[in-house]
Amino acid sequence: MKKLVKWSKANWLVWAVALAYIVVAVTRPSAAGKGALLGLQTFGELAATLVTVFVIVGLFQVWVSEEFVMKHLGESSGLKGLAIGAGLGTIIHGPLVGVFPLLKALLAKGARTGVVVAIVSTWAIKLPMIPLELRLFGWRFTLLREGLLFLSAFIMAPLMELILGKDWGTRFRDTIEQE
Amino acid sequence: MTSTDYALLAVTAAVVAYSAFRSGPKTKKALRIALKQFVNVLPFFIAVFAMIGLFEVILTPDQIQSWLGIGQGLLAPIYAAIFGGLATGPPAAVFPLGQYLLSQHASIAAVATLLIAWVAVGTITLPAEIRFFSARFALSRWALALTLSVVLGLVMGWVL
Repeated sequence: MKKLVKWSKANWLVWAVALAYIVVAVTRPSAAGKGALLGLQTFGELAATLVTVFVIVGLFQVWVSEEFVMKHLGESSGLKGLAIGAGLGTIIHGPLVGVFPLLKALLAKGARTGVVVAIVSTWAIKLPMIPLELRLFGWRFTLLREGLLFLSAFIMAPLMELILGKDWGTRFRDTIEQE
Repeated sequence: MTSTDYALLAVTAAVVAYSAFRSGPKTKKALRIALKQFVNVLPFFIAVFAMIGLFEVILTPDQIQSWLGIGQGLLAPIYAAIFGGLATGPPAAVFPLGQYLLSQHASIAAVATLLIAWVAVGTITLPAEIRFFSARFALSRWALALTLSVVLGLVMGWVL
């Protein structure tokens, strides 16, 4: 019982979604079925990525030293750290939820908050989608939008570090270690 | 499974093989960490995707279109940010919607905001973000991203 309560605290969403599905199933049965199917489909599409992400998380924790992460992505990595983050965010694709575990592992190894924020921000850039955007909106719109999205990493990262405070990263690392 | 997935799995397998060649025990430990974390978050992930599916059905591009209308005013980008931020689904779904709205004389600022908020805000993944990074981090980033999508949309409307 105690275990279930603890589990539910971390996984409250499971119960919330189950409840939402019951409500929708009663009011709009076809929507619930379609939603479940779409969700399953999205999950299926992501399955390979998820396996990869968790294997990489494991390898990352075993092989990559804290010194290495701190040197290149740590508190004193400055603009270079943010640029690496923005570049990483641009090339990764697929649903962002899938890479959250990896980003958490990065933080745990001493990457600064801004680097993770930069990755999340430029994740919004979808390289494979650019041809479609070009065709529908033209090159001026596309270039400007993608450029601004890339730039947003360098706006979001310092703002987030300002809001969360300098020592948020350190305190976050402590809570992970306690888990 | 797409060809990208196969490539990804092949690369992962190669990396694991190389890791095992360098050090067996370390690789074993890495895979144990991977499995433990995977099993830990699996129910949560399933819930996240079930929720994404539900939202895709309930908040369709058509729905947004009828709510967003063809607004031209200053409020249009703010509505666009809210709907774009709430909605979920592949970017390929929002591009045609944006183009349609433009053809109906919606402002560039509103359409640009919608396209940016769609990918940059992530209201649906907020529970996941809270779980992995704490509520303080997730909610701050969410609020900032929502604001920034309006600002960037207005910049685009102003430049173009």
